[in-house]
Amino acid sequence: MIAIGHECNAQRAPRALRLCRARALRYIFGIMFDPRPLLSLSHASKSYGGSPALIDAALDLLPGEVHALMGENGAGKSTLIRILAGVVAPDHAEIAVGGAPVVFHSAADAFAHGLRFIHQELNIVPGLSVAENIFLSQPYPRRAGALVDWARLNAAAREALAALHIEHIDPRGKIARLNTGDQMLVKIAGAFAGSLQNGGETGLSAKGGANLFVMDEPTAALTGAEADRLFAVIARLKARGCAILYVTHRLDEVFAIADRVTVMRDGRVVAVKPIRQTDSADLIRLMTGREISGVYPPRASPLSSAPLLRVHDLRTAHLAGAAFDLRAGEILGVAGLTGSGRSELLRALVGADRLTGGEIRLSESAALGSAGSKSGDLHITAASRWDPTAAWRSGIAYVPEERRTQGLILSRMIRDNVTLPHLGALSGGGVTLRRGREEAAAARLGEKVRLKARDPRQTTRQLSGGNQQKVLFARALAGEARVLLLDEPTRGVDVGAKYDIYAVIRDLSARGVGVVLASSDLAELVGMCDRVLILRDRRLSALLDTAGLTQDALLTACYGPGESS
Amino acid sequence: MNIRVLSPSGSAARAALGRLRTFGTLIGFLVVVAFFWINLPTTFMTLPNWLNISQQVSMLAVIAFTMTIVMVMGDFDLSVGSMASLAGIAAALIFRDGGAVASGVLIALLIGLVGGAINGFLVSAIGILPFVATLGTLTMFSGAAFVLSGGETIFGRDIPAEFSSFARGGIPLGTVGERALVLPNLSLVALAVLLVVYLLLEQTTLGRRLYAIGGNAEAARLGGVRVRLLRQIAFMLTGVGAALGGLMYASRVASANPTQGGGLMLDAIAAVFLGMTLSEEGEPHVLGTLVGVLILGVLDNGLTQMRVDSYVREILIGAIIVAAVTMSSLEKRKR
Repeated sequence: MIAIGHECNAQRAPRALRLCRARALRYIFGIMFDPRPLLSLSHASKSYGGSPALIDAALDLLPGEVHALMGENGAGKSTLIRILAGVVAPDHAEIAVGGAPVVFHSAADAFAHGLRFIHQELNIVPGLSVAENIFLSQPYPRRAGALVDWARLNAAAREALAALHIEHIDPRGKIARLNTGDQMLVKIAGAFAGSLQNGGETGLSAKGGANLFVMDEPTAALTGAEADRLFAVIARLKARGCAILYVTHRLDEVFAIADRVTVMRDGRVVAVKPIRQTDSADLIRLMTGREISGVYPPRASPLSSAPLLRVHDLRTAHLAGAAFDLRAGEILGVAGLTGSGRSELLRALVGADRLTGGEIRLSESAALGSAGSKSGDLHITAASRWDPTAAWRSGIAYVPEERRTQGLILSRMIRDNVTLPHLGALSGGGVTLRRGREEAAAARLGEKVRLKARDPRQTTRQLSGGNQQKVLFARALAGEARVLLLDEPTRGVDVGAKYDIYAVIRDLSARGVGVVLASSDLAELVGMCDRVLILRDRRLSALLDTAGLTQDALLTACYGPGESS
Repeated sequence: MNIRVLSPSGSAARAALGRLRTFGTLIGFLVVVAFFWINLPTTFMTLPNWLNISQQVSMLAVIAFTMTIVMVMGDFDLSVGSMASLAGIAAALIFRDGGAVASGVLIALLIGLVGGAINGFLVSAIGILPFVATLGTLTMFSGAAFVLSGGETIFGRDIPAEFSSFARGGIPLGTVGERALVLPNLSLVALAVLLVVYLLLEQTTLGRRLYAIGGNAEAARLGGVRVRLLRQIAFMLTGVGAALGGLMYASRVASANPTQGGGLMLDAIAAVFLGMTLSEEGEPHVLGTLVGVLILGVLDNGLTQMRVDSYVREILIGAIIVAAVTMSSLEKRKR
């Protein structure tokens, strides 16, 4: 992401120019009027069971600024936000809104003082309509005293959506029918509702006073176009003098929209800087406390030519054909827009979706265990019994897209999660548990992926997102896999953990493991992969060499030759 | 208990309170025991009474222990009670027709295995919710027990002494005054089932995988666990456990009746739920189930001795289950 920072800016030049102008204006204003902060937090501290999560933190939000809040997982960002939201009681904190000291006892207090929150997790009620979800936290407009005025509610919801230029979502439809990205847009519209239209006659006047917005990784589930819509709304809020606290792990977003940045590490605020006075390397150093030169470690050894995996016309109910070879040690990227079949290709390879056609050949040297005991290649077709159990046994390891719902068993220990696919080999005769052996393996692999945990018996739920992802990597490494399938391996993972994960991928590749890496992060694909496979409409559309490939070219290829955006 | 009032005063108090809630059910059990000890000073806290309790709960214990196997996966088996009745009827019918005790017992256990296999097939292969699938088989098994027995109780000379004397027998431990102290055979069977289920769930790969399914079935499948197969096996084991419980019951009362197992299902689920309140993540554990079974058994025994009306007894037992589960839900919501 660092190496391509310039390209990103170039791509967004018109907006950057607009932002520059706005910034200059505000700078002059600032000197003339010295704007008082809309919100200031100081001396904020909070400990959980004796271990400090936040130590004497401070934060100022000025009118008309986008303020980025950065830090690794566990740096204290969430605690700080929860204090602002009134859902966590600080051990000590001084909060002032518009210069007047306040105390937030509950979420309602924060709401009453004009704060609005967009949380990373979707808090939706699936059974209710889009309009009902948008106005969930407010009283619905009434008619005849007791009846809900649905017409006004739906009109207000349509207006709230229109403010974000969202026309394709029907406010009367059930929110459960929308895809994740659209659901996120609805939640965002809900947070903004009433703050964008100028005196629009919605009848929902209760929400006029919002001028402080806190967004916790709002773009995590959004596509590029959806994220751009959000950024446009943020720009309008800024122009109206609102302040936005924006939490993200994505450096390119910070440089695109933020005016100032506060960096946290180990519960403390380590820096507050105008965005002009910093750069990617500086922010990473502040967040991690260590020098990381180049996020993407370079390939150390030349690629072998031995094919490991040959895939021919692979089909499932969700995949309409893909063919490629994977060489030993190769990192093959899988790119495509949302819904293009990225995850589905990996699911087909690991046997999570039933094959309906085509074949997979795993070369003899790659096939281990029971499947490889007979000589010759492992040959899988629609007629074969091919499921995740067979895949793991054949030396194919898999890190799924959603670590919480598809990857981890959060209620169980790290040890149980790491050894789950390998229990047969780590147990006595495949039957009796050998906990000592399992824990030794989990500890050894945990160290390899730089997992931060007390011990292998810690419950996985207690780990931060980045460390949870590392547990899945430790699992994938445990069985001496020859093929590694990675679906969005660094989504929602902080910079330090990201770097650790890239280093592990490189290391595996150097030892001859073939890696298939599906990602929506174009920089990651260009930085890590040898070749990138482009999927469009659930089928293979192109196979590009990454030598000399730019993110723009990759994005264009994803949209297809006919409709370059 | 008002947690809010107590908690903000220092982290040490809070930690102690947290531990109290994890072990709350255990402490509750000890309070119940102490209560009966005080109110029944001469009869309750005696070895003969505890041996008696162990026999009284043994059928429930066997069914609850094996029920724990499916509940570890997050599933239920509502059909265990009617399976217990059906197994008892099946064995009694074989005895009546002159079959050997061994063959009657084996066929009854086999019926349990097949019944469990039907449950497993409906849940894992067809994909019906366990609640619905086993509600259906509950009715089927119950109906089958009525059809086979003609709705009548099989007792008296039809039940061989060899079968009914098993429940009366046991290992002699000595004598107290005139009476011989005996560790009942039924209690020994329950202990053996406890040991087997404990080893299965806690010491084998099968148990680990069942816990994984209960934690997150999709993640378990993508992690290489054969979810369907294991679900099938788990339901079969629960079915066998239900049949065994039914046989023990028939042996104890020396008769078989198409409704006699009916009450065991709810008590078994209640025992597992009580046990779940003991684990930090709220997972079922067979030793927790043992505590749950003992709570139900001790309450029943003590209240009967205090001549509390049996309907009042039911209200009390229900209230204790609700209280225990409420405590553990409140604890979970705090996290």
